[in-house]
Amino acid sequence: MQMMVFMQFLLGGVVTGCFLILATIGFSLTRRVEGFLNINHAEMLGVGAFVTWTLNTMLDWHIVPSALVAIIVTAFGGLFIARTVYDPIRRLGPAVLLITSVGVAYVVGGLVDAVYGTGIFTLDIPLATTYRFFGLRITDYQMMVVALAALTSVSLAVFLNRTKMGLAVRAMAANPELAASRGIDVRKTSRITWLLSSGLAGLAGVMLAVIATLSTDIAFHQILKILAVAILAGLGSLYTVILSGLMIGIAMDISVFWIPAGYRPLIAFAVVILVLLFRPDGLAGKRTS
Amino acid sequence: MNIEQLTLAIATYGCLYAVMTLALNLQYARGGMINFGVVAYFAAGAYAYAIVTQEAPSGLDQYLVGLDWPWWAGVIAAALASMAFAVLTGWPTLRLRGEYLALTTFAFAEVFHSLLLNERRIGNGSVGMANVEQPDFSWIGLDERVAYAFAAFTLMLITMLVFRRILASPYGRAMDVIHDDEMAAQAIGKDIQRIRFEVFIISAVPVGVAGALFAMITTLVAPSLFTAEVTFFVWIALVLGGERTIIGVVAATLALVGFQELVRSIHFETVRTAQIAASVEHIMTGLIFIMILRWQPFERFRTRKEAAE
Repeated sequence: MQMMVFMQFLLGGVVTGCFLILATIGFSLTRRVEGFLNINHAEMLGVGAFVTWTLNTMLDWHIVPSALVAIIVTAFGGLFIARTVYDPIRRLGPAVLLITSVGVAYVVGGLVDAVYGTGIFTLDIPLATTYRFFGLRITDYQMMVVALAALTSVSLAVFLNRTKMGLAVRAMAANPELAASRGIDVRKTSRITWLLSSGLAGLAGVMLAVIATLSTDIAFHQILKILAVAILAGLGSLYTVILSGLMIGIAMDISVFWIPAGYRPLIAFAVVILVLLFRPDGLAGKRTS
Repeated sequence: MNIEQLTLAIATYGCLYAVMTLALNLQYARGGMINFGVVAYFAAGAYAYAIVTQEAPSGLDQYLVGLDWPWWAGVIAAALASMAFAVLTGWPTLRLRGEYLALTTFAFAEVFHSLLLNERRIGNGSVGMANVEQPDFSWIGLDERVAYAFAAFTLMLITMLVFRRILASPYGRAMDVIHDDEMAAQAIGKDIQRIRFEVFIISAVPVGVAGALFAMITTLVAPSLFTAEVTFFVWIALVLGGERTIIGVVAATLALVGFQELVRSIHFETVRTAQIAASVEHIMTGLIFIMILRWQPFERFRTRKEAAE
């Protein structure tokens, strides 16, 4: 019986991990290509979630078109912020960009707060149906999160390795000057990166709205976990995000088996601190010379 | 709220926050360390003060230790607690660089916050500890609030002078070298790791004392008072003031606290308008932040002055 409860927590951990992968992969993509930590990424999750909620409940749209529109809105919102705020200060270096993105997070978070105010928001969608496999329970929405995480990871890998545009993005990430001198359109590549990473934030936001109840401070809680996953993976690496997302998700949910649930975020960072003590550059890091 | 109260509040909290800004200034502008967890050292000081001075637990209290010692023992304990926390967090993290250091200090602060929130035996969990001991000011014949403003100002002044002295010394020069060129510093035989570690610990001490003073003034310590927002606030003040000027960061902190207190002192008819005002305050702070970083008016001002000389 104990074993069964444990397995249930493990399964919950996998679902949490898959959500974390969705939330972090766009963040890591920005770090890789644009070279800085975009703290505002989590607020874009909030934007995606609240646009979905508005279309779904205020305008009575079906969830699928609302989600699609929300993702597109978030993607272009992210691109707009990048062009107006980040591009002009690129020359000042990643530390200034990082601190600026905190300012941007304040503005975006404040806007969401001003429009929606306090309270709890739920989508107008059918209640989750629970399925049983070998005595373990999982809802259809949870399965959707897992499927989307897998689909996103695979299609991102295909995009980066097989398409011309994806190769251009990787070239930009590795050496921007060289990429530009070899005739890669830097502006276009950067545009694709921002659309992609913000769109992924939007998708994660939609998933958040589907599996959890929303409140305006939800975005801030996500940034902590996103940072944990991203540091653990090694900043800027994409494939290790999958591993580290699952690790942190599972560690967080399994910990509930032994210690009170209030400690879940603490567990995420405890894992990070432990790993960094042994590998200062994260899981993907090369040995420092 | 009348003008006098407002001025006192701005002076008191402004000076307390300025102590944190000064510490960050020393760590970042001189030591090159991005500390995104400064609130944790502040909280460590406040909690240490509360635990040392609080009476033994009774009734509904869930905390384990309350020593009921006088206030000055609490202040010393606050300085020591903040220092100990700096040793604990600095030792494993300071070999990390730039962004990794920023994120791990942030992580430590979150872990500490979550510990205070969940472990009721430290300080009653989310309820916090109320009726924190206040020193008796009646013998000086000053109004309590004036006395606290004065104490905060004195603490800030001492911090400023000590940091200034350190920076002017050969030790301060060594810090500048590390900031400008690590390789060169290493080549002339400076132990980079050690100096950074020492700077990290030294700068934590006044932050802890500021925490104790904060606990006295509010007479309450609770996890909700020590969130990451405090850290961001201090960082905004630091950026606003310009990295390398001590007077600049103090002025910026005072201006920012003043702005915040002014918005808070406005009386609102409904809860909803008050809430919108709070959001607008957030948006304004963020916008100021973005604009300062983008156009760097203080930097330009300084270079122009240098050119004129």
